[in-house]
Amino acid sequence: MRFFAYIAASCLVFSGTAAAQLSGAGDDPEDIARELETANTATDSGVADPWEGFNRKMFALNDGLDRNLMVPAAKAYRTVTHKKQRKGIRNFLSNLRTPVTLVNDILQGEFGRAGETMGRFVINSTIGFGGMGDPAERLGIEQHSEDFGQTLAVWGVDSGPYLVLPFFGPSTLRDGFGSAVDLTTDPAFWIRTDPAMYYRFSRAGMNVVSAREPLIEPLADIKMDSLDYYSSLRSFYLQSRKREILNGRTNFEDLPDIGEFEEFDDLE
Amino acid sequence: MRTLARRFVFRIAAAAAFCFAAQPAFADQAAEDYVQTILDEAEPVLSTDDHQSMLDGVEDLVDKYVDMRRIGRFVLGQYARRMTEAQEEQYYPLFNRYAKMIYRNTLSDYAGEQIKVTGSVDRSERDIIVNSKLANPEPGSAYANTVIHWRVYRSRDGEMSVVDAGADNVWLAIEQRSQFGSIIANNGGGEKGVDALIAEIKSRVDG
Repeated sequence: MRFFAYIAASCLVFSGTAAAQLSGAGDDPEDIARELETANTATDSGVADPWEGFNRKMFALNDGLDRNLMVPAAKAYRTVTHKKQRKGIRNFLSNLRTPVTLVNDILQGEFGRAGETMGRFVINSTIGFGGMGDPAERLGIEQHSEDFGQTLAVWGVDSGPYLVLPFFGPSTLRDGFGSAVDLTTDPAFWIRTDPAMYYRFSRAGMNVVSAREPLIEPLADIKMDSLDYYSSLRSFYLQSRKREILNGRTNFEDLPDIGEFEEFDDLE
Repeated sequence: MRTLARRFVFRIAAAAAFCFAAQPAFADQAAEDYVQTILDEAEPVLSTDDHQSMLDGVEDLVDKYVDMRRIGRFVLGQYARRMTEAQEEQYYPLFNRYAKMIYRNTLSDYAGEQIKVTGSVDRSERDIIVNSKLANPEPGSAYANTVIHWRVYRSRDGEMSVVDAGADNVWLAIEQRSQFGSIIANNGGGEKGVDALIAEIKSRVDG
């Protein structure tokens, strides 16, 4: 069952972007009205959500899968593994992402970071037991990850509208396209043999479970606390994505003002 | 004509340089001390074993240091100005209770942790970001490198209050504003939307 979901998922990442474009705001007056409303509402980090109708449907689909498939899988994973093992698996999986990060480091002109990525790969794959350990971090080379969406952002491409991809979750038009490109940056993508296929799908599955496991409680909390889970996650995604694009540098200039408008002064 | 244009460009550049020189992102020691005081006061509160007294303690801290009305207004975005008086009377007390509920849940994640102020950046004289980190994170803790931000607002008479909190550049009030705006817009916007939002918060804090 899980296996099937990943096959479907990897096909859909390509069609997801295109489908979203088609089913955005149509001629339906309700859509247009909604578009006007959302254009008016302040969205996060300047990213608009004109496809909210479509996005909410995809979000509901993903949330159903999350509850019925991902969370049980993540809980089972937590039961059968030890914390240290999970850390090792996380390291191992992130080591396998090296080609994607490396290519994007270079495309962004961040050659210093590209060198770090290479260095980490060599160190962790050898004395780090094939990537399970992270001796590179202890040597002071910290892990970072890049993707083509971030590269496009660095090149000056706007995020485009917010987009919830089926199975893949929160994204934007730019970052959804980026994820599709990243799939092809992975060398295993080009090896058309059964073992390579099997490797890719089981790795994708492990990626999902390993990423979901530490988020079991935080996401449950957010869901419980929020009045609107959808826009809550949208905001969290867009805010943290912005920081990733800036490579962890913080930018406080872009924050909206709280309390410096004249309209606030009557509060004093 | 060309020299005129050049002189104009030069003048703008000079003005820009002056602005940059006049308003660098300085650290603000007073705001840092202010946040550290709150953190020191919060630490024993968060580490009490008795759950109820922890919740009460957090409420007291929020009452004392957080400008809930300002946040309540911010999270309404453009709709803040369009509320009727009756709506305002309902909304602000409800928001106060709802926000406290959220802060309690968020803060209890850091229970028993000592948080130290690491620095600050001022967006303006009256709008300061104070950064902090866990003082002694457990080895391998997921929060070890997390930067916890506090947004401090200084009123005209110099009094300080906390108006937002966040971690790694993800801010709570901004996230709340996104939710509130969405609920109002999806329920017809304007006055009707605000009513829907009030009903939603009410069902949450009473439930």
